[in-house]
Amino acid sequence: MASAILNFKKRILALQEYSLMLRDLFLSIKSIKKCRRDTITQMYLIGAQAFLPILLGGAFAGIILALETGHQLDLFGAKTLVGRTVSLGMVRELGPVIAGLLLAARTGAKNASEIGAMQISEQIDALRAFGTSPILKLVMPRTIAAMVMFLPLTAIADMSGILSGMVVTKLSLHVDTSFFWHSAVSALLMKDIFVGFAKPILFAYFIATISCFYGFYTRGGTSALGKNTINAVVVSSLIVLVLDFIFTKVVWELL
Amino acid sequence: MIRLENVNLSFGNKVILNNASLAIKKGEIAVILGPSGAGKSSLLKIMLGLWKPDSGKVFINNKDISYLSELEMLPIRRKMGIVFQGNALFDSLTVEENVAYFLKEHGGLKSSSIKDKVSEILSFINLKGTEKICIDQLSGGMKKRVAIARALSFDPEIIFYDEPTTGLDPINSKSILELIKRVSTSGATSVVVTHILNDAISIGDTLSVINEGAMVETGTVHDMLQSENKFVKDFFYEVFQEAALLKSKNFNNNN
Repeated sequence: MASAILNFKKRILALQEYSLMLRDLFLSIKSIKKCRRDTITQMYLIGAQAFLPILLGGAFAGIILALETGHQLDLFGAKTLVGRTVSLGMVRELGPVIAGLLLAARTGAKNASEIGAMQISEQIDALRAFGTSPILKLVMPRTIAAMVMFLPLTAIADMSGILSGMVVTKLSLHVDTSFFWHSAVSALLMKDIFVGFAKPILFAYFIATISCFYGFYTRGGTSALGKNTINAVVVSSLIVLVLDFIFTKVVWELL
Repeated sequence: MIRLENVNLSFGNKVILNNASLAIKKGEIAVILGPSGAGKSSLLKIMLGLWKPDSGKVFINNKDISYLSELEMLPIRRKMGIVFQGNALFDSLTVEENVAYFLKEHGGLKSSSIKDKVSEILSFINLKGTEKICIDQLSGGMKKRVAIARALSFDPEIIFYDEPTTGLDPINSKSILELIKRVSTSGATSVVVTHILNDAISIGDTLSVINEGAMVETGTVHDMLQSENKFVKDFFYEVFQEAALLKSKNFNNNN
């Protein structure tokens, strides 16, 4: 019982620390120009290097979605609706979520382990001791880079999912590609595109800040670093799913 | 220059600093001496403003820094340099990049001036020619020199050394101590934290002995040898023994 209370207290304190970090991040916005170079570096690491996993992730999500829905719709003679289902599914849900989960794993692990290792080896203290804000130097560039790069990456996941779905529908269900494409594009409304591209910005913000926080929160040795890296990935991934649910629910009730 | 007044610090039930008071004059080499776990490094972090005291006051150049925010502390820290126990160098960078790191971060200097400055500092610490070498290829003694070079890059008014010779062989230790003395001739105030008695005696203008978070005695080596305090006597036991041995040798020679 006592350990459960202690654990709960620890979590509340961690939440408080996270909130304070977000406050410092907000207050650092006025010095945002100073982190331009680091942001570009992070954009390359977070964005360009994630191109292939996102492309493959999106493609396989599109293939699975096309096969599963295609066979079910075929039972009712409605296989021509596959294009519509795949495009709406990819743009509204699977594209952002697949990109979010892959990036939570990739970027989350990278941020937590890099910053955690810097924390253990006193490099964060060195930054502070020499008058450099670790928030501005480490968190701000990673957050901006993630928020900027998640948009094109999500678009890549969406596109590769729709195109791979189109190919697999042609091969297994014999639906004409131009028909698939036409129904896929005409099904998409402005609000679908808005929802599909607003989610990644929100996901990116939380993935970047949560993983950086776990890095900063690393105390002790390498085992703490490993544990915090796992926690960063798990919590970021869960946040992606929870936010997806909240966003979908709220947006569909409002729009 | 630096003044601590009744500083207290605890983590949970563990008392780290207990009513610690200390005054360090401009330009002197002040050594904080004590056994492991006595609170030496904590005192250093308090002086740097990396940790905040639970109570008490910390003055740097007559400015109370005890409870300044992180952002308020940044310009004050730019007048200070620190050599961490584990060096805290950026291990993915070269020697030159490490020394130039904060010069670039805080701007104000052209890249040619930064290069000249780095070259000048590396010459001063006898590391000329190592500019392009990666940190992980350096020996322990060289890493310590690079850490000192980085601390010197801003021409700081105060330099803190956290256990500067720990883990080094006697020859490297000697050369680091000589370097600390040489740095202090430029007028910078040096604060050295160590548990090695011989180091403290060989470089310290004043020695402050700390035990269990409380300052026990402050004075010159001579004052320490005259001290009636039991802990100081125990800590300086070897020196007392050597002095006694020397005295008896002189006595025998005279007879």
